[in-house]
Amino acid sequence: MGEQAQILQGTLDLLILKAVSLGPLHGYGVLLRIEQISRGALLIEQGALYPALFRLVRQGYLKANWGTSENNRKAKFYELTAAGRKRLRAEADGWKRLVEAVGSVLGAEAEEV
Amino acid sequence: MGLMSWWRATIAGLTRRKRVEEEMDEEIRGHIRERAEDLKRAGVPREEAQRRAKIEFGAVERFKEECREERGGMWMETLWSDARFGVRMLRKSPGFTASAILTLALGIGANTAIFSVVHAVILRPLPYQAPERLAMVKEWIPKAVPDPIPVCAPDVVQFQTQNQTFQSLAGFWGTTFDFDDGGKPTRLTVERVSASLFATLGTQPLIGRTFTAEEDRPGHLVAILSYGFWERQFGGRREVIGRSVTLNRQPYVVIGVMPRGAVFPVVGMEQGEAADVFIPMAFTPEELAGVGDNFNFSVVGRLKTGVSVEQATADLQKIARQIEETTYPVAVRSQIELNALALPLTEQVVGKVRRLLLLLLGAVGFVLLIGCINIGNLLLVRAADREREIAVRLALGASRWRLLRQLVAENLLLTLAGATLGLMLAYWTTDALLALMPKDVPLFHEVGLNLAVLGFTVGLAVVTGVAFGILPVLTGSPRDVNEALKEGGRTGTEGMEHQRLRGTLVVAEVALAMVQLVGAGLLLRSFQRVVETDPGFRPEQVLTASLSLPGSQYKEEAQIKSFYQRLMQRLRQLPGTKAAGASTDLPLEAGWTHLFTVEGYQPPPGAELNRCNHSVILGDYLQTMGVPLIRGRYFTEQDNEKSEHALIVSESLARRYWPKEDAMGKRLKWGPGDSKDPWLTIVGVVGDVKPRGLDLETTPHTYEPYLQNPGDSLNVAVRTPAEPGSMAAELRAAVWSIDPHLAVARVRTMDQVIRESTSPRRFGLLLVGSFALLALLLAGVGIYGVISYSVMRRVHEIGVRMALGAQEGDVRALVLRQSAALLGAGVAIGVAGALGVTRLLESFLYEVKPTDPLTFLSVVLALAGVALMACWVPARKATRVDPVVALRYE
Repeated sequence: MGEQAQILQGTLDLLILKAVSLGPLHGYGVLLRIEQISRGALLIEQGALYPALFRLVRQGYLKANWGTSENNRKAKFYELTAAGRKRLRAEADGWKRLVEAVGSVLGAEAEEV
Repeated sequence: MGLMSWWRATIAGLTRRKRVEEEMDEEIRGHIRERAEDLKRAGVPREEAQRRAKIEFGAVERFKEECREERGGMWMETLWSDARFGVRMLRKSPGFTASAILTLALGIGANTAIFSVVHAVILRPLPYQAPERLAMVKEWIPKAVPDPIPVCAPDVVQFQTQNQTFQSLAGFWGTTFDFDDGGKPTRLTVERVSASLFATLGTQPLIGRTFTAEEDRPGHLVAILSYGFWERQFGGRREVIGRSVTLNRQPYVVIGVMPRGAVFPVVGMEQGEAADVFIPMAFTPEELAGVGDNFNFSVVGRLKTGVSVEQATADLQKIARQIEETTYPVAVRSQIELNALALPLTEQVVGKVRRLLLLLLGAVGFVLLIGCINIGNLLLVRAADREREIAVRLALGASRWRLLRQLVAENLLLTLAGATLGLMLAYWTTDALLALMPKDVPLFHEVGLNLAVLGFTVGLAVVTGVAFGILPVLTGSPRDVNEALKEGGRTGTEGMEHQRLRGTLVVAEVALAMVQLVGAGLLLRSFQRVVETDPGFRPEQVLTASLSLPGSQYKEEAQIKSFYQRLMQRLRQLPGTKAAGASTDLPLEAGWTHLFTVEGYQPPPGAELNRCNHSVILGDYLQTMGVPLIRGRYFTEQDNEKSEHALIVSESLARRYWPKEDAMGKRLKWGPGDSKDPWLTIVGVVGDVKPRGLDLETTPHTYEPYLQNPGDSLNVAVRTPAEPGSMAAELRAAVWSIDPHLAVARVRTMDQVIRESTSPRRFGLLLVGSFALLALLLAGVGIYGVISYSVMRRVHEIGVRMALGAQEGDVRALVLRQSAALLGAGVAIGVAGALGVTRLLESFLYEVKPTDPLTFLSVVLALAGVALMACWVPARKATRVDPVVALRYE
């Protein structure tokens, strides 16, 4: 699996929103997609996914519907709502800004300070 | 989350709870299944794949719990499930549950009952408008009487007209009238009141009107009925207005009815009971002429807005000084210093009983506290037993907060069940409580269960539930799951921490019970002393009744005298009579206080005025009461209007003024030396009689023959060898044979009179005593619980000891030693506590010191006895331990 990073508190919601934005997914699917996108670099405690999903549903960013999985089993599929799409955009922008800021701080040379 | 969505989630959570739960299970199961299949595809063997899938997912129950919380709408559901789980847990240990609920029911029930009285008497305002602005106005002659006294008639008018600080001021005076509705004549309490009384109180009549100023002058026979009398006598009919009622054989026209609850006067305003009927004060010219005489009239006033009681007092003092200077005769002025003051009405009414009621509230609070300690103890035991359960639940992912909530929910269930039962107990005992209540407790509000009382009870239940629930959790929540699971094994002994805490609780319990018992013991000893006090007369076998001849019928003194003389004759002739007599007042219920001058006696400078209680007596009154003659003679029929004025004095009076001489033949007169009253010659000395209460000081007393100073009201007394109550019918018949329209009121035996005078003490003692017994019982149960539990836990250890040769006696000693240590510590703390607390009791004690060693000793012995009994059973059980069985347990 290579080197794995622990998920920062609060970023799990962002990751879930991003994963689901690419198409409706069931819980296990969300896990797989995050692993797939991050090429296995991010470690998610599997059970922790569910409280986050429930939270996002309650906050109205996701909606859940029962459907059939690839294996022809009953499963709950999550998809992004309009509010969720907006939230994802806002969070993603914020995250990028943070990353750039932290990146430039870490990359700063002595003269630039 | 907005309020609406929160609410929706709550509702949805409740209605779809089951489905949502199933879906969550299904979703998680699906996840694990998919994972396992992926792993299998990756080449992991089937069983291993399933195991790994589960491990990778993590603690299922914990995540489920988190999901539930994230889902929202949880709180109701958690509450519900907590409650259901609580009920299940409680049902699993019915013994514990029953004893806890019963203890709580007793504790909370007793507290509720007492609180309902405290609420009705102390906390609720007097039944008048803005009662905080009402004040009693009293005169005060410190030289003559230490306490403030009512006001004399002309001064009432002076205060009414001269004051600057009262919005209005009203006089009132309670008396009794015969009421005749054609049946048996009865006695009513009639209040003569100023026309301004109703405005002063701010009370509007329910129907009709109040008195006019014109009606407040002599010659108007009008009456206002109290709500109670109106209901009783006229069935609440409104047509009563304009009808006439016969009072003291005169027709009074009913002009109004007071509203329900507007009781007047209430205890503490003046002696006597609440009025049945109000009539106008209408001072007579004779009354208004009685300057400095007959301080009989009570006065109540409404302060002007913003005026304090102190300002009012200053105002009244100024008027009093004016009155003394301008109206009192010089001779009187030199003797007295007339003062006046205003006293807040509420304090006057409630002040005396407040301490008694707060004492009871404190005592009953102790009972609940001890009960809570017992339950806390039981809970600790359960906590120890449940440590494993709790550890398992923690291991499965329950949060500590959730567990705490669960335990608190269980306790709340217990206390609320206890409170419900307690409320029922309180409801049933209120009547009994009221029957016991002494007459000086002002009950103008209904005592019973109302919102405030209910709130108090529920509050009490919640506080106790949370308090004793948290205690074991805080100290006893498992420190470490692994540890707990290990310790919870078969041979586990209770954690040291628990054991110490439980010991401490029992010590506290013993100490509290000790304090309570000492308090009750001191009250009991006081009561004993009071009852054993020689009243100065022989109360057994004496029947009394009160008679009052209405002036409208008995206009001439000769008529009055003739009536009573004939009555005496009749009573003497009754077959059951040993002796008969009559007096203006009865022992323990002294009426008049007289000021007098002793011939040839120079009081030391600064001495108080000479004063005594005074009775006018007829027939063989002193013989009937059994007051012993010490010197001289009793009165005879020869002590009449024609003979020299005679007087009998009490022993203490004779000793005080003639310590070395014979009092016989000495003379004294009422008022100052130059008053117009005749000199009275002492013809006899009799024993001292308790004038106002068995526990009050004896005061000098004088007796005067009725024929030399007749009046219309007398208490008749008959001594009979038989049971005195059986004479009542004959006594009534004798009175009615002379005057069939005269009410025979207050027919009582002297034993009853004594009981009435001791009823406040009896009330306090009975309640504090029963609370103390309850405390003792609970403490015993507490000790039993701890000792028997510890024996159960130490079966193994005891088995080893016995296998090593310990004898039965050794084992018993082991158990008793533990109990003795708890008891000793509890008693030591209890003694210290009792010494501190009983000082508060001092004013309730009579001839007993708060540190009375006998009481302390008996209480310690009682506690020791109970403790011994409490650990007897466990000790026996310990000696029966079979070492073979105990060790096989290993």
